[in-house]
Amino acid sequence: MNKMKPLKLLDIARKTGVVTIRYPDKPPLITSEFRGRIVIDASKCIGCGACVNICPSNALTIKETYDKRIINYFIGRCIYCGSCADVCPVKAITITKDFELATENIKDLNNKVVHYKVVCCRCGSERHAPENMIKFVIRRVPVAETYAHMATNCKKRKFVEGMLHGRGMLYVEAK
Amino acid sequence: MTVNKELIEKIRRKIVSEKGDLINRIYYEEGAGLLIEVSRGNLREIAYYVHEILDTYLRTVAGVDERPIKGVFSAYYVFGLDGYGLNIIVVTHMPPEDPKLPSITDIVPSADWYELEMYDLLGIRFSNRKLYRFVLPEDWPEGVYPLRKDTPYNIRPKPVKSQKQVLSGPRIPVGPYHPALHEPEYFELYVEGERVVDVEYNGFHVHRGIEKLGESRFTYQQVPFLAERICGICGFVHSVCYTQAVESAAKIEVPERALFIRSILLEVERLHSHLLWIGVACHLLGYDAGFMHAWRIREKTMILAELLTGSRKTYGINLVGGVKKDINNDKINATMKTIEWVENEFKKLVEVITSIPQIVKRAKGTGILPRSDARKLSVVGPVARASGLKRDVRKDYPYAAYKYVSFKVPVYSEGDNLARLLVRVDEVFESINIIRQLLDQLPQGPIMSEEIEIPENAIGVSSVEAPRGEDIHFVITGKDNKLYRWRVRAPTYQNIPALKVMLKDAPLADAPLTIASIDPCFSCTDRIQVVDLSTGKRRTISFKELQRYNICPRCGL
Ligand code: SF4
Ligand code: SF4
Repeated sequence: MNKMKPLKLLDIARKTGVVTIRYPDKPPLITSEFRGRIVIDASKCIGCGACVNICPSNALTIKETYDKRIINYFIGRCIYCGSCADVCPVKAITITKDFELATENIKDLNNKVVHYKVVCCRCGSERHAPENMIKFVIRRVPVAETYAHMATNCKKRKFVEGMLHGRGMLYVEAK
Repeated sequence: MTVNKELIEKIRRKIVSEKGDLINRIYYEEGAGLLIEVSRGNLREIAYYVHEILDTYLRTVAGVDERPIKGVFSAYYVFGLDGYGLNIIVVTHMPPEDPKLPSITDIVPSADWYELEMYDLLGIRFSNRKLYRFVLPEDWPEGVYPLRKDTPYNIRPKPVKSQKQVLSGPRIPVGPYHPALHEPEYFELYVEGERVVDVEYNGFHVHRGIEKLGESRFTYQQVPFLAERICGICGFVHSVCYTQAVESAAKIEVPERALFIRSILLEVERLHSHLLWIGVACHLLGYDAGFMHAWRIREKTMILAELLTGSRKTYGINLVGGVKKDINNDKINATMKTIEWVENEFKKLVEVITSIPQIVKRAKGTGILPRSDARKLSVVGPVARASGLKRDVRKDYPYAAYKYVSFKVPVYSEGDNLARLLVRVDEVFESINIIRQLLDQLPQGPIMSEEIEIPENAIGVSSVEAPRGEDIHFVITGKDNKLYRWRVRAPTYQNIPALKVMLKDAPLADAPLTIASIDPCFSCTDRIQVVDLSTGKRRTISFKELQRYNICPRCGL
């Protein structure tokens, strides 16, 4: 009797049938919770860099030039942890279920969100923050409107001037 | 860690009354254990006392470059007092100009690797023992110590020419690596005919400097993702162990629901790991049908893990202070269904596997590790439990939600490969049982603690029972949202030295199963090089040739 026991596996196998799924002909076996590549909605993103800060693997990086702020998502480094989506203040990041990301062209692995920084409304030359960011700030703190379009140095100047003015130490020159 | 305050006081008083004159300071640190500060002259005596008289075992040793904060090098020897669930940490300091300690390997044999590692990575020398290159590659220059604080993490020194001598005598190298499997290792089996006479281990081929990275580049909340990548099989164990260590150092209260979720996932991970191992053990013994069915069952646990976390492996939901992802009712139901299915299927499969005479005969009586050796070498996990040591962190140092469930710790006394197989089989059923209880009791509430503040220079020690044994993390917190020191000790670190005992005088054909029986990795088993020392020729043998050498073509040895 005992000698026949190993044969029980045949019975198990017969009842189970074939379990291999003919991927890629058939859809992959992923659940509703699967985390794949992320997508950044450029129209929502305000370029705050919170996602860059949290990203454990440096898949997200930020580059600052004179007139641009670029958030780059390099899929090759992404570990699909979803931390960036958790911290994004405007929910610009969605976690997709894409995982078949192999490509022949490395450019496909870099996704850029380019923000053009706006020109200061006061001096007209300095650029400080992306348009979306300014809108976001104004939405959150409406009184910031007078300052929000101003570059950092101009803001400082305006602040000092405002104070002096308030104390009667500065006079507006007559035209 | 919940340890009775009175007991600690009793032990403290006992130590003070018996060895008080040799101790500089003794105090209790809640997140870590009972710390005993000794001068290095008294280290050996205290180590002997703690290890032999108090009957503890060595859990881990952490060398720390504390020059920037205390002006000294330090070594923390963490001993475990199992019966009390208490860590006794012997601390000793060394002046920066003379980092030297007496070796304790004759008293505590399992200290061997730790001392070599401290020598390699921190430049601490040990008297009365042979020191040699251990972790660092052979072409690493002398005098560059990666774990010292003045060494940057991204340093790439120019390689130097290595001067390793080749040993003489017939030997069979097994390893070092197989691209398809994790963790390369390299064994050199010295043989006389068919009998193994000695074993040399040469590991750390994939030492990635993770500790250094965690100390220098990562912030507290990023390290869990790094920790998860220490192991490809039991990654969640490492991330839980790390977060617990930081939480106990910073005394962060983790919500109960998060603790339950962690425990559930740890058990799901154990299920997949044990099923994987059982499959590979079948494969090594030439029973591939068993391998396939074990993995068929395992697949369901992988899918379950994805449903609960979002990923099959590297779950990525653990953070200091709690977890990121909750479990809802649908998921509870799905989990219940899956584990019931796994239980039934696995029961049937085990019945078949244990009735196959080839498996039972080849596993029974091979690779024996006697209880006395098991204790001396401080082995952990199923290896310890198969040699009659009832050692299980889930019971001895309760963490996460294990104190809310009841379960058995399977112990076998034979110490052979069969016993190690049976321990794992029993544990699969125990894990299923644990998951059921946890799901039943899952409390409501938040899954992340709200206030997370981590003070500087706090010590934390935490352990988690990984599928292959006890995993320990030791942390010292630092400035700028970063760790000062992070010491990871994975279970295989304790278990590999035991292979020397298991393999010695055993037939060569049993070696693959025995090596596999500690559940390290199997990367070593299907590539063999035979070195003809007289000509220095090295070649890889094909399966056909293997048969001529009278070596099993299937398992590779
Ligand atoms: S998913 Fe994780 S790794 Fe990928 S970009 Fe977001 S934070 Fe970085
Ligand atoms: S994606 Fe979100 S977090 Fe990242 S920069 Fe844009 S707004 Fe900030």
